Amino acid sequence: MTGAKQGYRPGLVDLGKGQISREIFVNEEIYAQEQERLFARAWLFVGHDSQIPNPGDFFVSGMGEESVILCRDRATGQARGLKAHGAIHVFLNSCRHRGMKVCRYDEGNTAVFTCPYHGWSYGADGRLAGVPYFREAYHSGLDRSQWGLVEVAQLCNYKGAVFATWDPAAPPFAEYLGDFARYLDLTLDSWDGGEGGIEVLGGIQKWLIPCNWKFPAENFCGDSYHNISHRSVDLAGIGPSGSGRRDMREREMARRLQVSFYERGHQTGIYVMPQGEPTPPAYGHSPIVSEYFAHCEDQRRRRHGEWARVIGSPGELFPNTALHPRQPRTIAVWHPRGAHRTEVWRWYFVDKAAPPEVKDFLRDYYIRYSGPAGMTEQDDMENWNYAHAASRGVIARRHPYSYEQGLGYETENYQWQGLRIPGTVMDITEAKSSEHNLRNLYRRWAEFMAADSWDELATWRRADQSVVRAAE
Amino acid sequence: MSELVNTRLLTPGMQIVLVDGAIAEVVSNPLDGVWVFARYLSSPTDPSVVGSEEMIFAQDIVEAREP
Repeated sequence: MTGAKQGYRPGLVDLGKGQISREIFVNEEIYAQEQERLFARAWLFVGHDSQIPNPGDFFVSGMGEESVILCRDRATGQARGLKAHGAIHVFLNSCRHRGMKVCRYDEGNTAVFTCPYHGWSYGADGRLAGVPYFREAYHSGLDRSQWGLVEVAQLCNYKGAVFATWDPAAPPFAEYLGDFARYLDLTLDSWDGGEGGIEVLGGIQKWLIPCNWKFPAENFCGDSYHNISHRSVDLAGIGPSGSGRRDMREREMARRLQVSFYERGHQTGIYVMPQGEPTPPAYGHSPIVSEYFAHCEDQRRRRHGEWARVIGSPGELFPNTALHPRQPRTIAVWHPRGAHRTEVWRWYFVDKAAPPEVKDFLRDYYIRYSGPAGMTEQDDMENWNYAHAASRGVIARRHPYSYEQGLGYETENYQWQGLRIPGTVMDITEAKSSEHNLRNLYRRWAEFMAADSWDELATWRRADQSVVRAAE
Repeated sequence: MSELVNTRLLTPGMQIVLVDGAIAEVVSNPLDGVWVFARYLSSPTDPSVVGSEEMIFAQDIVEAREP
């Protein structure tokens, strides 16, 4: 008995040894458990408020396997303490009567979401507004107030990025983030460090990959070990200055770090520039873009001081939101579509205030790099696809993957040239690579799979309480 | 038998006759092919609804009139 028909159990993730069973990637029972244990409890990225600027605007997104509607209602004025726009909601895209999708467009503007099956109709605030034959067939007895669209338990618009969770017991988003917020800001703030000054560029790219969702998730934790697989792209020179795939001159002078948050499950790579050293020039193929970013970097230094020495690199917000803060600036969500399939949704971002020439240049570069036709992402997809397929067999499943790289070399309270870096840090400047961040993803994944409630998962609250008790 | 009304062609200001004989004026049309928003002008079965705005189900509409 290989355990193929068993679900999650302790030992599949063995961080003491740095080994993880292939079962967690290919076992369908574990996949089914993930839907309840992870995706029904964690905070998930749904979309960006620049996608729904006007009352009645909607964008159909996903949370785990569920289709959801991100929309802005039509309530205006002082009654709800709002200015010009309605409130943002996230609803399950499923009619309360028989479950049909009430919205089958990708995005748009509407007064109502009408189910095409029997005609139940909902306002953009989720209330059940129309019931065919309400007087005649229901004798006006159906309590419509109880049959609105199912709304998420909690929603947070963080600097324009909309996150939501189905779990009313989950901690508020700011608490879920913890100090990782400073790293998330590297993606959500404008290039000059202005709060949330970005917008979605163009449409959302969506495509399917035949692999488990955790393959791309771990890759974006800051797996720099796989750079070899992008060597052909680097040789082709798709980067915005004509060489490599990104402008990476900071590598020559910065400390290269992997940063993890043990209790949260978030992690990212970063570069930390030496004190007093300006950010290297970038975007050499376009003088306008190069000048714009140089100006923004200067502004960012003025605004954020020493913290502006931190330059973003790929990261992962637990469980399935990938961050790519610099080149290209994108967020990806790895939607689970069965144990053996992932649907990728990728958002691209630019500064709202950037000149049109900058946005045009970036669009060309972004899609050259990322997405189903992006040359760098194609390398990754090929790896995930075949790694997954070659791990499904009964023999393959008996042999765990190795995650030993750098085990035991992590540092708390890391500082360099006067700048303290929040989180647990692995300095890979000399080591070149580590699986520190990947281990963190699976540490948190195993905690979610094992825990029955947020009381068990919010370990930092217990620490806070013990501090309070000690002080008393 | 009256001709089936295509609710997607109804525009604000048009009058619609409902299956119970009520007459209403179209206020807005979400173009979902299922509902229109309309204000009752008359209602032989329930005069209390006159003046109120309601969502009218497409299958309750038997006739459409230009204003």
